Amino acid sequence: MGIDGNLSKRKNILYCFISIMVLCIMLFPLYWILATSLKTEKEIFQIPPTFWPKELNLKSYMVQLESGDFNMFHSFGNSLIISFGAMIIAVILAVPASYGIAKYNFIGKRAIVLGFLVTQMLPVSVLLTPLFIMFKNMHLYNTFWSTILADATIGIPFSVLILKNYFAAIPKELEEAAYIDGCNKFTAFIRVLIPIAKPGVMVCAIFSFLYAWGDLAYGMTFILDQEKRPITAGIFNFMGQYGTKWSYLTAFAVVTIIPVTLIFIFMQKYIISGMTSGAVKG
Amino acid sequence: MVIYMNRIKKLFKYDNVGIWFVLPAFIYMIVFVGYPIIYNFILSFQDVTVKTLRSNVKEFVGFRNYLELFTQDNVLRTSIWNTLVFTVMCLVFQFVIGFALALFFKNRFKSSKMVRGLLMIPWMIPVTITGLIFKFMFGTDVGVINYFLRSLNLISENIDWLTNTTTAMPAVIFANVWIGVPFNMILIATGLTTIPKELYESAAIDGANKFQLFRKITLPLLKPTIESVLILGFIYTFKVYDLIYVMTSGGPVNSTQLLSTYSYKLSFDMFKYSKGAAVANILFIILFFVSLVYLKNVYVEEER
Amino acid sequence: MKKLLALLAAITMITAILVGCGSSDKDNKAADTTQGSDKKSGTSDKADASKDNSDSADASGKVTIWYYWEAIKHQESLNSLIENFNNSQSDITVEAKYVPFADFKKQLSIGASADELPDLVILDNPDHAAYAAMGIFADITGKFDVSTYYDGPVNSCTLDGKLYGVPFGSNDLLLFYNEDMLKDANQKVPTTWDELLEVAKATTTDTVSGFAHCSLQNEEGTFNFLPWVWSTGVTSYEINSAGGIKALTMVQKLIESGAMTKEAINWTQGDTMNQFISGNLAMMFNGTWQIPTMRAEVPDLNWNVALIPKDAIPTSGLGGENYAVIAGGNEDATIEFLKFATNKENCLFMMHNMGYISSDSTIAEGQFDGDPIYEVFVEAMKYAYARGPLPEWPDVSDAISLAFNEVITGASSPEDAAAKAQTTIDSILGQ
Repeated sequence: MGIDGNLSKRKNILYCFISIMVLCIMLFPLYWILATSLKTEKEIFQIPPTFWPKELNLKSYMVQLESGDFNMFHSFGNSLIISFGAMIIAVILAVPASYGIAKYNFIGKRAIVLGFLVTQMLPVSVLLTPLFIMFKNMHLYNTFWSTILADATIGIPFSVLILKNYFAAIPKELEEAAYIDGCNKFTAFIRVLIPIAKPGVMVCAIFSFLYAWGDLAYGMTFILDQEKRPITAGIFNFMGQYGTKWSYLTAFAVVTIIPVTLIFIFMQKYIISGMTSGAVKG
Repeated sequence: MVIYMNRIKKLFKYDNVGIWFVLPAFIYMIVFVGYPIIYNFILSFQDVTVKTLRSNVKEFVGFRNYLELFTQDNVLRTSIWNTLVFTVMCLVFQFVIGFALALFFKNRFKSSKMVRGLLMIPWMIPVTITGLIFKFMFGTDVGVINYFLRSLNLISENIDWLTNTTTAMPAVIFANVWIGVPFNMILIATGLTTIPKELYESAAIDGANKFQLFRKITLPLLKPTIESVLILGFIYTFKVYDLIYVMTSGGPVNSTQLLSTYSYKLSFDMFKYSKGAAVANILFIILFFVSLVYLKNVYVEEER
Repeated sequence: MKKLLALLAAITMITAILVGCGSSDKDNKAADTTQGSDKKSGTSDKADASKDNSDSADASGKVTIWYYWEAIKHQESLNSLIENFNNSQSDITVEAKYVPFADFKKQLSIGASADELPDLVILDNPDHAAYAAMGIFADITGKFDVSTYYDGPVNSCTLDGKLYGVPFGSNDLLLFYNEDMLKDANQKVPTTWDELLEVAKATTTDTVSGFAHCSLQNEEGTFNFLPWVWSTGVTSYEINSAGGIKALTMVQKLIESGAMTKEAINWTQGDTMNQFISGNLAMMFNGTWQIPTMRAEVPDLNWNVALIPKDAIPTSGLGGENYAVIAGGNEDATIEFLKFATNKENCLFMMHNMGYISSDSTIAEGQFDGDPIYEVFVEAMKYAYARGPLPEWPDVSDAISLAFNEVITGASSPEDAAAKAQTTIDSILGQ
């Protein structure tokens, strides 16, 4: 904390060390997933547990490629479509809404904020049946749209509440200057405010994406065809009636995590630099 | 110039234009979640079970489901208590750890950006898989957590984490905190970027120490972010379902039964649809009042 | 005013985008229906078909099946059965959709609320009665002959004297034991409870538990626990009886002696099998369907099966799946398919690939000639009890599984747990 800036060399090393320790603890479960995926089913249940597989077993990975109707690559694509769809809807709707709440005083504002919160207050299980009926009547049952629309309902209120703090923190003077320059409210919002709030918008986009990416209940319930289901549905191929196939399941987890991780590492430059640059100048 | 200033003042005074920015999102939410909320309320005042699901006339029973739940059902009381314990414990731990990490990574050291990015990965794993892996790690004999604790001589005998009524709750809380920490960390880290650096600099010149900087600058300026993170965290944690379902299914002997898992169980395992809806509504109503308190605070703040 | 207009324009734009989405959905949907993945198209196909040959029977059109087998081999078997059927005639087209087991009940419930159900489902037999009571299954009494089937499976599809389904195939529970471990401990295969307790104690070591069965607090756990109750001669509705308490006490003894691991309350039947084949268990209760997996995974392990050790009478739990025809679906065509699927040749094909025992006694006898392990399972079919059938079975099952979980975790004594469970069961049955 304090004034961030350059640290002494010794501190730098110490901090690096601490951060690596934190990383090891936080990511241990991930390591465990990886190690388990490379073990045989028999070794997984060995006492005491082995930290690295005695015999490397790649069979679990081969299985991912041949699981009947369920096609890994296909469902990965489905998940991308669904998650991007939900993310775009969430961002397009939430960004103006959060700006409106942060910068304007209008009648019923408080009720609307409460309204956004209220929509998040029911457990997913009881939303399924009514949403199903609704999507069926809208002829969206068994299409990507049902899941996209449903997933966006998680991202919108979240983004609104997070982003409104961003817009609120932007000094009035910036906006006023924009008006003097001839902007109207709408163009000021687009040209001046959104760029300033970009790190917040990015974070909201990422979270909306991830909410949709991790969703299982909506994708399973509103899409019946295997070939349209998101990748998370694949989990059921290894977690069935007669128990869990741990080696397959963990291999599946590894395969599903890697691509997203790569996307994020690739995009990190934009995300993190936006986040840390201290975008709002007083 | 004066004309401009007047116009600007007018713009900021009381401006219903703002509502047009908000309405599209609001209408979207009303359409897609409003109907389910109403559907669920109606269902909870009916008597829909296995036998009546397909009949056209559904008996209206008023508050009977709620009355029965509160008077005859011990599991409901357990679930309410468990849900509160679970939520509060999770929030405290994930918020404190997340906050600490956010402050820590605000320092610019060599690995800071990379490590902070990697810490997001727990968020990319579907919760179902997270739950399964924690269930596996918390196993009594084959579990790696007991193995660690034994190697470090912290325990002499294996703890039966998920099969003991007293340890199951801490175990599921641990797993949920693991998921929640990155969420809190990133949101607080982004919030920190809205605090102008100059404030710290001038305060430091005035001789403030780090603790004072934190108390007088970081905390007050971060307040809106903290409030949003906590209220969202509260709502999301209060209705956690998948994780518990996978790790313990509410057991052993209902010791991790939450309102959300109980509602699911009533609706889809026991086919008592109206009872399940009623339990979900109890959850809903509790959250509603918590949110009202939150909003009251925020509102008072903005009035000032 | 200008600003307002600009805003309005922006909003219309957004709405336009959304509406645009809406219309493209319709296109998607249209594409779907032409593919014929929707039930509605099924009915229209049917209408067209009946126009073509209006004099013949109305057994035509499309039949959609929901099933939950996640194993590829099982899915492929069902698909090839369906393909053979589709090729054997031209009026009816059958299509199967996989709905995961963990989601099956939920999906059926939602489908029933939303009136979006398939024509045929293959489901777990203890759930059959509950759905039949919901009114989603067609009464097929007299339309399908089940006279040669075992009583247990047929009972599971029967409610109030009416037949609401056809048994697909059965499985039952036996005692699996690790021959080497028993030999090392100088123990014989147990046939009674006392012997089981003794053998379990003798085979327990630091890393090995003598015995376990899946004891999850759900239907799966109840399934594995009930043989204790039945063996004393009482029914699953009489937990607070001498027999019921004795059964709970037996489990308590196993746990307290350390011979049965407490972790079993978190093990599915699959987990239990994994522990067994990894050498962490000397004995377990488990079912017919595990045999193919065990043979493939650990060909070198010396294991065998025996009837479940008895108290008063020999027992086993009856599991398996039933076919159920959905009321208001394409019923006639569905029954045509069922007749095809249950003839001897096709039934044997499915049973073989699934590792099940045919529910048709004429097929089951001689199904496993020369396979000593399966022969024991067929023998146990005679003693196998079905759960329910009762629409409220899920509630009864819930009370029972809570009782043995309380005993295993030490939260209650067998007497208290039994009394509590009985109060719940009585209130359910009294309704």
